[in-house]
Amino acid sequence: MNLLLKLIVFIVPTIFLLLFFMILTNEDTYPGADYDQFQIPEFELKVLDNTMTVNNDLLNGDYVLNVWASWCITCIIEHPYLTSLSKNGIPVIGLNYKDEQEDAIIWLKKYGNPYQTILHDYKGNLALDLGVTGAPETFLISDGRVVAHYQGEVNDQIWNDVFLPIIKDRKMF
Amino acid sequence: MIIEISHFLSVLATGLFLLVGYFSILTPSSNSSYISNLIVRTYSHGFFFLLSSFLIYVWLAITDNFSVQYIANHSNTALPIFYKISSIWSAHEGSMFLWIVFLSLWGFLFNIRVKNNEVLKPKTMGVISFILVGFLIFLLATSNPFETILPIPPLNGADINPVLQDPALAIHPPTLYLGYVGFVIPFASAIAFLLYGDSKINWEALVKTWSVSAWVFLTVGITLGSWWAYYELGWGGYWFWDPVENVALMPWLAATAFIHSLGVSIKSSQLRIWTILLSILVFSLSLFGAFIVRSGIIDSVHAFANDPDRGLYLLGFIGLIVFTSVFLFILRLSSIQSLSRIKKFSKQSFISINNILFGALIFSVMLGVTYPLIYEFLFDQKISVGAPFYNAIFIPIVALAAIFLFFSVDSKWSRSINFKFISPPISFSILLSLAFTIFVMQYFESHSISILASIFAGSLIIFRYIYEIVNFIFTKKFINPFSVIAHMSLGLLLISISFNSLLSTERALSINLNTTESYKDLKISFKDIGVENNANYDSIKATFLVEDQTGRTFNLKPEKRRYFTRGQITTETAIHITFLRDIYITIGDQLDDGSWIVNIQINYLIRWIWLSALLMGLAGVILVFSNSVKT
Repeated sequence: MNLLLKLIVFIVPTIFLLLFFMILTNEDTYPGADYDQFQIPEFELKVLDNTMTVNNDLLNGDYVLNVWASWCITCIIEHPYLTSLSKNGIPVIGLNYKDEQEDAIIWLKKYGNPYQTILHDYKGNLALDLGVTGAPETFLISDGRVVAHYQGEVNDQIWNDVFLPIIKDRKMF
Repeated sequence: MIIEISHFLSVLATGLFLLVGYFSILTPSSNSSYISNLIVRTYSHGFFFLLSSFLIYVWLAITDNFSVQYIANHSNTALPIFYKISSIWSAHEGSMFLWIVFLSLWGFLFNIRVKNNEVLKPKTMGVISFILVGFLIFLLATSNPFETILPIPPLNGADINPVLQDPALAIHPPTLYLGYVGFVIPFASAIAFLLYGDSKINWEALVKTWSVSAWVFLTVGITLGSWWAYYELGWGGYWFWDPVENVALMPWLAATAFIHSLGVSIKSSQLRIWTILLSILVFSLSLFGAFIVRSGIIDSVHAFANDPDRGLYLLGFIGLIVFTSVFLFILRLSSIQSLSRIKKFSKQSFISINNILFGALIFSVMLGVTYPLIYEFLFDQKISVGAPFYNAIFIPIVALAAIFLFFSVDSKWSRSINFKFISPPISFSILLSLAFTIFVMQYFESHSISILASIFAGSLIIFRYIYEIVNFIFTKKFINPFSVIAHMSLGLLLISISFNSLLSTERALSINLNTTESYKDLKISFKDIGVENNANYDSIKATFLVEDQTGRTFNLKPEKRRYFTRGQITTETAIHITFLRDIYITIGDQLDDGSWIVNIQINYLIRWIWLSALLMGLAGVILVFSNSVKT
């Protein structure tokens, strides 16, 4: 009787712990791979040099959306990394956030332009819909859905930890 | 700077708790008065450092210090102070912090309330301290709430999740956490008892009040959660067998069995093995709850951010705690077995049956929570275990437990009595309950066996205790008020749940502005709909004028809100509450023809379900206070 009780109190937790260990270390069944995705809200914004208007339909496919502004100090620090991403063939779209048009253009002349297109969100409407709290912030967008969002400076480590697993998982770019 | 001070105080507290653990468990002379004084004082210092750290953190949240990444991500300048504070426990890092502070608070209260010459005190404090160290390292290493955004913090903060901007939710997690971590006291004393290995020590008496207090918090915490899901999430019911509801239910069931078993062990030193195992089980299940919610292993409204490292750390730490306990238990098993056998039909015998039935319930819930995970792991297919599974198990077992409870009212401690089935109290209750059940069957035309069985079992308990109360008034026969209130609440709970599932109905209507639809006895007129602008959200607000069969009218104004900062849409239900039923309206989408989809529910006795749960908690409060008056 005692032996049976001893066996039970030992075996039952062992089974559960082993089971959870296997689930946690198995990447396929670990549901952490489901990201909090949402559709990009509808918008219509002019590009920074006022040459055209862009809406949801014109921006499709996979791209990185980077929120920046000329008043943002961290954006300067982040800038070289975005340039290297762009050189490696990753489409980076800029969302110029609550910024004066001239200031932004001067800034780009000074530091260089890594962006394919830049949307000028002077009032911050699209940024508000996206849940932007400041600059810089970076979104990973796949077929019109936000699949990752990072607040703060993107660098090599953040790119590898936050974005790259999702890019691989979804076979993007 | 102030962020670093707060951070540093937490680190300091970790160091002090480590010292307490070391001195109380790993040094041989931990019961010398010098060492035990040292333990008591060092623990208190550790607690005050940790508390100060937390209070500074609260201050950082109130003053919108968005240099702290966690606060920047979960609070907002536009929030009222109340929600700035509650935003701390709206996500993983902050709520873990609060959880640990509460754990240390229980330890602190035990530290100051229990006399230093209590032989188990030093080792109990030591166990609590080691657990605190384990969780503080988890907090600081894998989910640090003090991480900063430098050099430039954001201006506004990302805002708290709108469904969490609600008074019930601001108090639901803290109450529940107080319940979960409160069981560290019986657990730590049980471990201290096993470490000592002296079966003459009565550790059970030491922890009775503490265990019941923790049980009260757990009961109220779960009830608040159920209530919040009903009106804020728009779930429209009281229990959904959501995995996280289940991981709160398991410690509650284990704790309820534990408290019963504890009573026996205090009274007659019997069922000690059960009591020790249950004390380990309650705390392990509380930790298991933290693991399930925080490892991201399941998807649920409650689940926090996903991070496998956190899951592995928690699993490892829980494993360490469980195996240490199991090892000690196996080591001491032979010395704690009580020699006296339990007599047939004594109170003890009924409580052992109760332990077995509750054990079966816990095992079933555990199976329901883990089976989908196992299945997906093995066969790579998602399955879900839902209400039908739980109903099929809970209804018969709970009804059986209720019937045993009914007969146990007559039983005596340590004595077997001859049951007379035609004795007045038993026949009185059985006849009245049968009559009531038959009335329900005829009047409501119900033939569902599970509903009728629950109604019968519930009314058996209520009538039996009514008889006891009447007996008490006329003959002054002793009754235990705690037991009477707690068990009558259980009866009320069973009956309320049965009527709720028997009578409640719901329907989705499409309704045009300025028209009237009828549903059951209600006439619903759609009077108005419009957009309202508020500080941090826009809302579509509808007005319905509802008339019931008695001709009474009232307005219901359900809303749909869209929050600015996250763009999240929430449904605000409108509820008209009467004595017996709730009329519950939510508004859906507008159809192409201009009409709106409206969901109407009539929920019978749903308030009574929460009321019975709260009454159960009240019974616990009475027990705690009557005990502290005696000591």
